[in-house]
Amino acid sequence: MDLTRPPQGGLGPNDGAGGALIGKRPSSRVVVVTGASSFLGANLVGLLEEDPRIGRIVAIDIVPPSTAQRKTRFYEVDFTGASAEARLSEILSAEHADTLVHLAFMSSPTHASAHAHELESVGTRHVLVAARQAAIRKVVMWSQTLLYGANPSNPNYLTEKHPLRAPMTEPYFADKIEAEAELMRFAERSPKVVVTVLRTAPILGPTVRNFLTHYLARRVVPVAMGFDPLVQFLHEVDAIAAFKLAIDRDHPGIYNVVGDGVLPLSTVIKLAGRLALPIPHPLARSMTAALWLAQIVEAPPTFMHYLRFLCVADGAKAREKLGFRPAYTTREAVLDFTSAQRLRDVKLLHEASP
Amino acid sequence: MKPKRPSSRDVTAASPAPSSKKKAPITRRTGTLKKRPTPERRPSTSSMENAPTATFLPEDVEGLLPRSKAAPAIVPPRGKPEAPRLDDPEEEPAKTTRRRDPDAPSPAVVAQIRELEAQLDRLIDEASRRDLSSLAGEDDDDDDAVVEPRIDDHDLEVTRDALPSDIPATERDVYEDDAHATQEIAAHTASHAVAPVARQSTPPARPSERPSVPGDATVFDTARELLSTDFYLRKWGRLAMRGRSEEVDDFGFDPIYEQKARAVFELLYTRYFRVETTGIDHVPSRGRCLLVANHSGTLPLDGVMIKTAVKLEHPHPRDLRWLTEDFIFHMPFLGSTMNRLGAVRACQENAERLLSKEHLVAVFPEGVKGIGKLFAERYRLQRFGRGGFIKLCLRTRTPIVPVAVVGAEETNPLLFRVEYLSKALGLPYVPVTPTFPALGPLGLLPAPTKWQIHFGEPIDFSGHSPDAADDELLVGKLAERVRATIQGMLDRAVGARKSVFFG
Repeated sequence: MDLTRPPQGGLGPNDGAGGALIGKRPSSRVVVVTGASSFLGANLVGLLEEDPRIGRIVAIDIVPPSTAQRKTRFYEVDFTGASAEARLSEILSAEHADTLVHLAFMSSPTHASAHAHELESVGTRHVLVAARQAAIRKVVMWSQTLLYGANPSNPNYLTEKHPLRAPMTEPYFADKIEAEAELMRFAERSPKVVVTVLRTAPILGPTVRNFLTHYLARRVVPVAMGFDPLVQFLHEVDAIAAFKLAIDRDHPGIYNVVGDGVLPLSTVIKLAGRLALPIPHPLARSMTAALWLAQIVEAPPTFMHYLRFLCVADGAKAREKLGFRPAYTTREAVLDFTSAQRLRDVKLLHEASP
Repeated sequence: MKPKRPSSRDVTAASPAPSSKKKAPITRRTGTLKKRPTPERRPSTSSMENAPTATFLPEDVEGLLPRSKAAPAIVPPRGKPEAPRLDDPEEEPAKTTRRRDPDAPSPAVVAQIRELEAQLDRLIDEASRRDLSSLAGEDDDDDDAVVEPRIDDHDLEVTRDALPSDIPATERDVYEDDAHATQEIAAHTASHAVAPVARQSTPPARPSERPSVPGDATVFDTARELLSTDFYLRKWGRLAMRGRSEEVDDFGFDPIYEQKARAVFELLYTRYFRVETTGIDHVPSRGRCLLVANHSGTLPLDGVMIKTAVKLEHPHPRDLRWLTEDFIFHMPFLGSTMNRLGAVRACQENAERLLSKEHLVAVFPEGVKGIGKLFAERYRLQRFGRGGFIKLCLRTRTPIVPVAVVGAEETNPLLFRVEYLSKALGLPYVPVTPTFPALGPLGLLPAPTKWQIHFGEPIDFSGHSPDAADDELLVGKLAERVRATIQGMLDRAVGARKSVFFG
């Protein structure tokens, strides 16, 4: 849309030669957010709008974010399209962006696996190529602690050094692991770029909608019979705060961003006021596969591992290095989600779109 | 007051003299049954005013929500009809105490509640007998005769009308834990629920239009209760979550669950295995320590017994955490149960974390090989792994206390190991003992041998630097030294033992 406007100035990303909307402040930053109309993207855009140190926000997605205001410029780029890479390079160079926040990932497993693969795996490649060409100074990427995989051989707290061992047969995990691998290669080849990866625990909260909230919103929640693993969650405001921290300062590296404390899964379901239905796990695999094909359940059978085994990450590094202090513990996140969900249950809370 | 019904009089006397003490939740219940002489009749209007307003909250979630002013669950009719219909202040805290702290009511309150429950049962029995006799045909005569002696207002019409409105169905929630009482109460009171209690599962029963014969109404109400799915869902939910607490620590240890299981373990410890413990003072009262023990018996009962020994015999009882094999967490119920009792998967990170939090940790370096020893090899220690526990102690500067457990080998003497089905079942092998496959699952019950647990002198590695953990030779040497110590303790103890079953 705005590509027709020639870039002004051209002395460098931080020379404040941004759009006419902002005054010429020498330290204005330009932040590019991909996946800008996702939950994280939209909220982050809204938060950055209020930060005076951010001069301009470039939102990239297929739908404009509802939180876009004066500082945001929206570009519609479809990462699965053919010319995505070229367009992205143009945009990034034209805007003189200095920070790229890559949030274009699916937060729930989907049946459109080819599309998801194009978006996450190939899309990340496009984004990173464009970033290299536009000489972006800093890249922040979203990842998930689920990628560590739930194995019985996991220690009780997984640190960032552990390999990502989620089952690669599941495209949801495989695409994201490939995206992280791409980012690592990019970081190796561009040592001057500050690369931050934030691996978040599953996000819960009153407004976020993902496969986990759908799972906990059921009246009768299926669980694996005889298994009660410890789980941890991250509250949605803490997730956004972590990204803001990563944007404000330079913190290269990988960080587990998790809420405080762990809870047994049975306690979580009880707090949410739901009934747990134990299913013997050999039976559960085939049942879930059939129901997933029929699009009745929200997750494919490989997710049953997370109902059986531990996948809890240690957030000590984020606490020390990033200065991330979650405002909500896991229990409080569940309770906050539950209070909103209860209103939804009795139709007292209406939302625009799922 | 006609001194007519000696039985009713007796029952009245048995009740806690509501006129004097004013705390008889039972009386209100029985007040609905019109044959009840004891409970004082209240005018129906006043009973409506004081209808129950408490909301039903599952006792587990209750503690999480902000405490509002405790609404009285039940308002019993009072002894003196003239006395204002007040909620008994003593009774209120009893109820709320009971409801708010289901896990820890004060003993006085518990005793009081038990006493009241007993009286309730008696009165209900009395009343149901009376109801049945009323069904047989003697109706109004009984009313007059029975009611007269007790009530001061002599208001019979009021009595009948007061029936439906008196008893709130929330009573059943107060006596949640007593399933029997619940059934009884439900049967007798469901028909009389008037106040729309929040989240009351059964549809609020209409107060009986007709002055129903109570016997008739109770049958229908029981049926209605039992036919509602919510009743079963509630029971299911309660059963499933019973015994689990809300508070687990970082590693999944559940203190409430462990307390309940401890009763069984202590029974095993004192009566079944009659464990003799020596050297318990070698276990430090504070700070981290690693207990290294030999592993035997087909079931991992030695870990449980060591844990109980530390809890029972030590002057400062501490919680013991175990490190267990991976395959435990593959199996359905065992994994989560062990985790709630304090076991975590055996790996360096977990152990280091536990020790850095100054826990007492027990490890069995023989592992599955130890448990899988055939009976012929009993009390001969297998190789102590790869010295992982030594590396752990060197790195974290933790003292080791060697522990020798005598008597566990003979609980389930292993004759043969079947490794054929190991992959299919997820177990390392299937044990064959004299009793096991022969007698089915009961064959795994341990024999009541007499156990001895010997705690040795602590071995301290503080002389070595933490980098010594990388020195394989040193690690091997130290592991061998610990093994030799335990073997020595075992040999001495087994040599001195005269009998397997009696020590």
